[in-house]
Formats: sequence, structure tokens, C-alpha cells
Amino acid sequence: MAGLLLSETEKVFILHGVQDDYRSDGRSNIDYRPMELETDVVSHASGSARLRLANTDILVGVKTEIDVPKPDKPDSGRIEFFVDCSANATPEFEGRGGEQLASSISNLMQRAYHSSQAFNLKQLCIFEGKQCWKLYIDILILECGGNLCDAVSLAVKAALFNTRIPFVKAALMDGGNVDLQLSDDPYDSKLLDVGSAPLLVTLCKIGENCVVDPSAEEESCSVISLIVGVTGNRQYYTQEEETDKKTMEGKCTTIAMHGPGSVAPKTLKEAINQGIIAAKSLDEALGQALLRERQENIGFKKHSYGFLK
Amino acid sequence: MAEIYKLIHPVKYFNDYISRDIRPDGRKFHEQRNIKVNVNSLKTAEASAVVKCGNTTVVCGVQLELATPKAEEPELGFLVTNVELTPLCSSKYRPGPPSDNAQVQSYMLSDIFSNSKCIDLKDLCIVPDKLAWVVYCDIVCLDNDGSLVDACIIALMASLKTLSLPTVTYDPETEEIKVDPDVRTPLKVDGCPVATSFAVYKLTERNILLTDPSAYEEEMCGGLGAHFTVCLNKGLICGNHKFGGSHLLMENQEEVLKIAKERANLVVKVIDSCIKNEKSIDK
Amino acid sequence: MPLDYRRFNGPEDSVSYKRFTKDYLKSYSELYNNLIDEKGRRKDGRALEEARSMCMFFARTDMVSQAKGSAYIELKKTKAVCSVFDPREIPHQNEFSQLGQLFCEVKFAPFSCPNQRRTHAPDADEKALSVALRQALEPTVCRHLFPNYQIDVFVYILENDGSCLAAAINAAGLALANAAVPMYDIITACSVAVIGEKMFVDPTEAEEHLAMMTPEKEGTNHGIITMSMLSELKQVSDFTQIGSMDTDCVTKAIEILEKECENIVPNIQKVLVLNVVQCIEQRKQLEEEAKEREQALNAKMEEWKQLLNSG
Repeated sequence: MAGLLLSETEKVFILHGVQDDYRSDGRSNIDYRPMELETDVVSHASGSARLRLANTDILVGVKTEIDVPKPDKPDSGRIEFFVDCSANATPEFEGRGGEQLASSISNLMQRAYHSSQAFNLKQLCIFEGKQCWKLYIDILILECGGNLCDAVSLAVKAALFNTRIPFVKAALMDGGNVDLQLSDDPYDSKLLDVGSAPLLVTLCKIGENCVVDPSAEEESCSVISLIVGVTGNRQYYTQEEETDKKTMEGKCTTIAMHGPGSVAPKTLKEAINQGIIAAKSLDEALGQALLRERQENIGFKKHSYGFLK
Repeated sequence: MAEIYKLIHPVKYFNDYISRDIRPDGRKFHEQRNIKVNVNSLKTAEASAVVKCGNTTVVCGVQLELATPKAEEPELGFLVTNVELTPLCSSKYRPGPPSDNAQVQSYMLSDIFSNSKCIDLKDLCIVPDKLAWVVYCDIVCLDNDGSLVDACIIALMASLKTLSLPTVTYDPETEEIKVDPDVRTPLKVDGCPVATSFAVYKLTERNILLTDPSAYEEEMCGGLGAHFTVCLNKGLICGNHKFGGSHLLMENQEEVLKIAKERANLVVKVIDSCIKNEKSIDK
Repeated sequence: MPLDYRRFNGPEDSVSYKRFTKDYLKSYSELYNNLIDEKGRRKDGRALEEARSMCMFFARTDMVSQAKGSAYIELKKTKAVCSVFDPREIPHQNEFSQLGQLFCEVKFAPFSCPNQRRTHAPDADEKALSVALRQALEPTVCRHLFPNYQIDVFVYILENDGSCLAAAINAAGLALANAAVPMYDIITACSVAVIGEKMFVDPTEAEEHLAMMTPEKEGTNHGIITMSMLSELKQVSDFTQIGSMDTDCVTKAIEILEKECENIVPNIQKVLVLNVVQCIEQRKQLEEEAKEREQALNAKMEEWKQLLNSG
């Protein structure tokens, strides 16, 4: 954060607050700030979502295309992330300033979605070895107010939840060509299974403790943060009461460190546990919000709130 | 003391040595640096060679791919050579696309190689107009201490001489390709081009030729500009490059040819004995 | 992709011949059985928790004559070269930066990977490795000593047989020490591949490949973790994980890696101490030679003086 100046005493104040699990804005160490989420905001995309977390504003659009699967994974679809840091977001992104950040976020997302326990790419397969769906996930950062990774992962999950993929019938023709048949009905489409898609949680180390969703002031007190990607729980994302209520343990799909500092192994272990707890409550809240919105959508009661409509 | 002198009076320092008929690293004018060759040390490449000429270190790795031949030359395979000057080999190079210098080196190498005709591209064709080998030879410089082309050619030839091609069966009906990597036929290599670099240094009236110059000597002679490279394949000249700089006297030329010829014989012997050693270890 | 006119390019549609060999696509269990034999030993004879640092480790410095400091590290087949150059002013920067910066680049040789030719342009993999390398090195370098300057660290991977990030970090740490860049501690790194219950310490390429594939059984742990440590200060400078695993597994891996990172330290120390000893010996020899020359000169001088006096 450029232009943010904190005196030593202000820093000490924040540090003491974190120690007592009572931060300067009244949150505990694993609380998020309030956020706004809206899905289906871009009519041309297969799925989209807009998320606002404090001052961070993210727009995600999902495009679908038919492609050839990778030769070493013939039965899986493909997913690709593109991050665009708009120069409006913060003056630092002007010119090529945002490029490094953009590539590191897209890389992090790619890694988090790598395991099929996080996101099953087999559901994107059309015809094994010949045709598959390819999802292009375009992430646009409209405004940058800290805690980008968390916001991006939430918005991506919401957009994927909202994504509809048309049903396609495939038949093998002579000479190894594939014949694709697309239904005329635009509503003849399927939803993706995104319940287990991972959420990223950034843990900022302040003093001896870690906090989630740091404000800009808190970020300037910390030299190192840990980003943990945790798989979601499918049962938060379906209306049906599942008969076997086995609680799926959140699993780490990616862990990365960011910042010039270092941590002790003990703190690292604690932080990972804290991240998993935070991710769980975040996942539950997201699931509820998305289901509620879908319900509203079905009853045509949905109001548009965002600036895009 | 000597280091400081070198920094403050670089030209005088160099002249002092040259006028006493010796080079700063203790070599005579026509003395070459030791050549070390090691083949097949990288297991991920089909064939590979590591070559050290003094401090100059280059690694060549060969990889094989399959492609359809060009429509205008349906009976020819492909052989692609590239020289990579990595940023780690000298502070002169930056990461990113190849510098001018790297491009010049790449072109020179490919010119010498194709002029020498030591590989017949027809040997790389499997089924005319349908399938051919693509031999990618990537030559990476790890340490650039002068006379880079010499080392690159040695590395390239050493690895090509150990290269063998897997057998391919191509079914013209179904266009199905099957490769059996266990049955291999060695690639035919005809001769072995060897390059010898010289730097021309102008000391008052006379021009002095330095064989196998180091990076420091190259720089004192005006960079690549004053470079002279002679390439021989089986006693025949297959490349002769002189880039600007000081002129070269006629009488020097004969001397140069003699040195290059001797060196070519030596290098061929080094490569062959290295490959022989490697084979005997394998058995 | 636009054609690169600054290099020679092969035909666009060329594919590696390995795609047409009969064992290109193997099933998960086949690959798994290839890794371990009945006695629980790995293919190269190591036990599961045995790293290559003990017997298959080779490190040396002063690899590149043109660089300020350089190192070469070999973990059996994995080979990495690193060179470090003199600090230079940070290019294209107007603001004053209090701390010096590190510029790291990891590059794979085109022929370094067994199945596919690497492109010349940096791909996502290389960029991620470069970022991870910088993250790992930043805490250990005394950056306040060279404000407004940057140190270039280049790593080139000649052959990739797994754990290349760990090899890159180890090589970079050694090269920085060789270049006499002030550092707080020796930095070492190690990685582990998790497949189900088993942890492959210091994995090979085949083991890494399998760990990245998702097992058929739902809910099985899999993935790769790389950790770099400042052993004396007991600090983790970089931690990257990919795959899917529960917390117990991560915690266990941290403990294993912590121990393994410490095991590598003596290897690095040995190389550094050897360097210092050599340096001292060399200087001694030089001094002796200088003394001899001086004595010879003095003797000559005396001779001349006597000649002058007598004449």
C-alpha cells in the first residue's frame, strides 16, 4: 500500500490487538470483513460473478470452448485462469506494474485447482481423447483494497457455481473425426459440480499470531503472509439433505508464502490449521449465499444490485 | 598489484604481455587451451555432450521429434540447431529473447554445419511426404570464456556421433505410427567439421594472431569484430568467417590454415577416443 | 503463438516420438508398482525417507569463470547450475529502495525434461519457480547492505529428475555464499512427494509425476511439498505445496523436511570450508612467491650497490 504511513505506536496498537484476538475494527483473528456477492452479471459469459470485499472489487467471467484434451490426460477437460489487473485498481498497476501480481495470482489459482479432489476435470470431458470443454476463467481486478487472493478465489467459485455448460452429444465418425451435436434449447444445459472447489485464505503474520483478511493498516505491520488453499465441502452447495452426513475434512490444495520474511515451523503449522478453520466458515457462508440467490433466480424475484445492470 | 594495473591501464597491461611474446594467461600466441569432452552425461536427452575448452563450457542436448516433411522438400528431414547464451554464462547477457550476439553465433554454427554436409537430411526422412525426424540440437553455453563457436561445434558433433534413431513403423492405410525405442540405428555422420578461432591484435605496426582467444583477449582485440574463424571438414575448408576489425596479411593466412588443420585432427581424435571410452564403459 | 524469428524453428506440428511408444500411457497402478519393489525400496535403491543428500549429492563452487559466484549441484540425475553477479543499480526505477533486491530466474534447458521439449520462452512453471526461489532467498540475504541495488541470481537446470526447486535453492544459496554476499544463515531446501500414506523424501521425476496425478480412491492424499529453511535460525523461508492433503499429512511432512534440511547443511558447509582453505593456501603460496622475488631483487640491488661502491 503506497502512501500509507503508520507511526510506531500505531503499529504496536495493532499488534497488541492481534495478541488479544480483538482487532482494531472489532473482528477476531479469523473474521472476514463484510462482502457483497452477485452472480450472473455478465450476460455473454457462461457464468459470472462479482465480489466486493471492503475496497477490493473483482469481476469473474467464465467462457467455455471446445478443445482437444491434453495427450497425457485424454479423459479430462482443461481449465485456465487469466488475471487482468486494471490500471484503475491502483496506481501501481499502471503500465506493466500489475503483470507480476497477475501472473502470480493466476499461477496460484492454477495450482489450487490442480488436484481432481479440488475440481474434477473429468466432468468436462465430451469424448475421451478427442474433445473436451475448456474453461477460460477471466478475472478482472477492478479495485484493489488488499486481500486479493481470498477475494479472487471466492469470486471464481461463485462464477463456476453459476456456470452452465450445454449438453453435447458426440459420435465417432469415419476416419477418427468426431461429430458433435448441440441441442437447440439454450436451457438444455448442466451445472458443474463445484462443491469441492478450493478457497484461498491469506494469513498475515503479525507478531506471533496470524490474522485472516488483513486491512491495509494491518498489512503494513507484517512482513510475511501465508496463503492456504483449502477444498470446499460439497454439502454446503446442495439443497438436498444428504443422508450420510459425513463431514468432509478440508484438505490443503496449495500453500505458498508471500513477503520478505520467514516463519518458524511451529507458527507455520498453527497458521495452516487456522487457515483451514477460517476456510470452513467462509465456505459455509458462500454456499448459503449462492443457494439463496439461486432460489431467488428460479422465482424470478432477483434484484440486480451491481453497476453492471 | 597486477589486478590494479590491469584495471587502470588495460591496454598497456595487455601490450606489456604481448610485446614479450606471451599472453596474460601464460600461453604462447598459438597455444590452445585444453579440450575436455564428455558424452551422454544427460539422460533426458537422446544424445548429449559437455565440452570444456579452458573455461568455456557448452552443453549440447539432442531431442527427437516426428513431423510431416515440407511440401517442397518431401524427402528431407529436419535438423534444427540453436545456440543459447544463457544469462548465467556472462554478465553481458540478460534474460529474455536471444541477443544479437546469440543470433550471430547461431547463424554461424548453422552455416558451418550445413556447408560441411556431414549429415544427409535424406537419412532423417522415414516416409517421403508423410513422416520425418526432427532433430533438435540445443547448444547451451554455461560459461563463455571466448572461442564459443569452436566449443559449440565440438559439442554438436560429439553428440550427433552418439545419436541413434529408434525404429518407426508407419502404416500408410490408417496413418498409425509406432515407435520402438529399443531397436535403434545409429545416425550416419560423414566427417567432422572443426572450427578454430583466432583473434587479431594490432600492436603498433604488426598484427598478431592469437589462437583460441579467451573472453578477455577477445575484448582487448575489439570484441567479436576482430574475430577470424576457419572451419575444416576432412581437410577441406567448409567455412571461413572474418568479421571486420584489423586486416589479415596473406602470409598469416597460410599459418592460420596450418594451425587449423592440426587442431582439426586433434579434435577429431579427442571426440573419437571419448566416444570409444564411453562405449567401453557401457559394455 | 507468433513465430520466433530470432531462433531457428522446427516444423510447427512436430511431436515427441515418445507419444507413439507403447508405454506412453500407463495406468496409475502400473506406474505405482514401478516405483517401489516388494521390499519397500525405491527404484534407485533408496528407502522411502532416504534423501539423495547422503550418497548421491555433489556440489561445487566456481563453476562459471565469468560470474562473481557460482555453484553446481547434482542430486543423482538432477543437475542445476547457478551463477550470481555483482550488484548493479536497479534498472528502470525512479524511487529509492531502502532494501536491496534479488532478481531470480530459473530456466530449464530445452532438453532437460524426459517427455517433452521445453520451449525457449519462459513458461508458467519457470515463472513460478523463479518467484519461489526469490521468496526463499530474500529472508537470508542481508538486503539492507546494498540499498538501491539488485543482485542477479540465475539458475539453469540441465537435467530434471525431480526436486528441481530444492536443487535450485541449494545451488543459489551456495553461489551467493561463493560470491561473498552477506547472509544471515546457510539456506537449504528439500522436497517430499506424498502418495497416500507414503512419503517419498527427495522424489525423482517419476515419483513427482505420480504424486501430481490424482489417485483413483477418493480422499487419498497426494501432492508435493518443498520447504526451504535457515537451519541455524530455525526459520522457514519458503513453503510451497501443491496437490491435496489433510493437515496431519502436512504437519508430518514439515517435520520430515525440517530434519532433512538440516541434513544437507553439513554438505554445503563442507564445500564452503574447503573453498576457504584453498583460498588461504593459494594466498600463502602467492605471498611466498612474492617474498622470493623480493629477496632476489634485494640481492641484485646489493650486488649493484657493491659494484657502484667499488667502481
